[in-house]
Amino acid sequence: MTKYIVTSNRLVGYEPGDVIDGNDLDGANIDALIEGGHISTQSERKSAKTKTIEIED
Amino acid sequence: MATSVYLSNPTVTINSVALTDQCTSATINYVYEQLETTAFGDTARKFGGAAVTSLQNNSVEVELYQSYAASETEATIYGLVGITTNIVIAPASGAASSTNPTYTLTGAYLESHTPINASLGELSTITLTFSGGVLTKAVS
Repeated sequence: MTKYIVTSNRLVGYEPGDVIDGNDLDGANIDALIEGGHISTQSERKSAKTKTIEIED
Repeated sequence: MATSVYLSNPTVTINSVALTDQCTSATINYVYEQLETTAFGDTARKFGGAAVTSLQNNSVEVELYQSYAASETEATIYGLVGITTNIVIAPASGAASSTNPTYTLTGAYLESHTPINASLGELSTITLTFSGGVLTKAVS
């Protein structure tokens, strides 16, 4: 099931940053919540992988 | 002793979004359509009856201050036009109880919205009517 990140402080019962799914939004219209900026389908960004390269002179 | 109700802090939730602090008015109309059951032999008109269950025809009307800021009124309402959603209204914040019944209208349809409703020198407000849906009352 698709996960959503809460992005506003108006979603009842949740705080910004909480991760929820459709079952948590009992009967709410998910598209309207996304359009309104209350939840987002974007996952949290992972930090970029770093690779160390040693160069010998 | 008679009691009166002065609602200053009801809670209003539309599509799981708390809009209490933008709301100035809320009305729930709880309706079962009237079906006539008068028959020969009756001396007065009758409506409904133990064996007759009519359709609910509920509606909720709310008045909100308009706000175009992020996650506020316009952002929440605009995407609801033409679809169904849930409305939750209670006389006060806190848990549902017999003295704070929570009313939920499930599957209510928002037909129209006025994104711009402005007059010079006045705060912009919008009035929304959600129609249809099943109304339930929770007291615990």
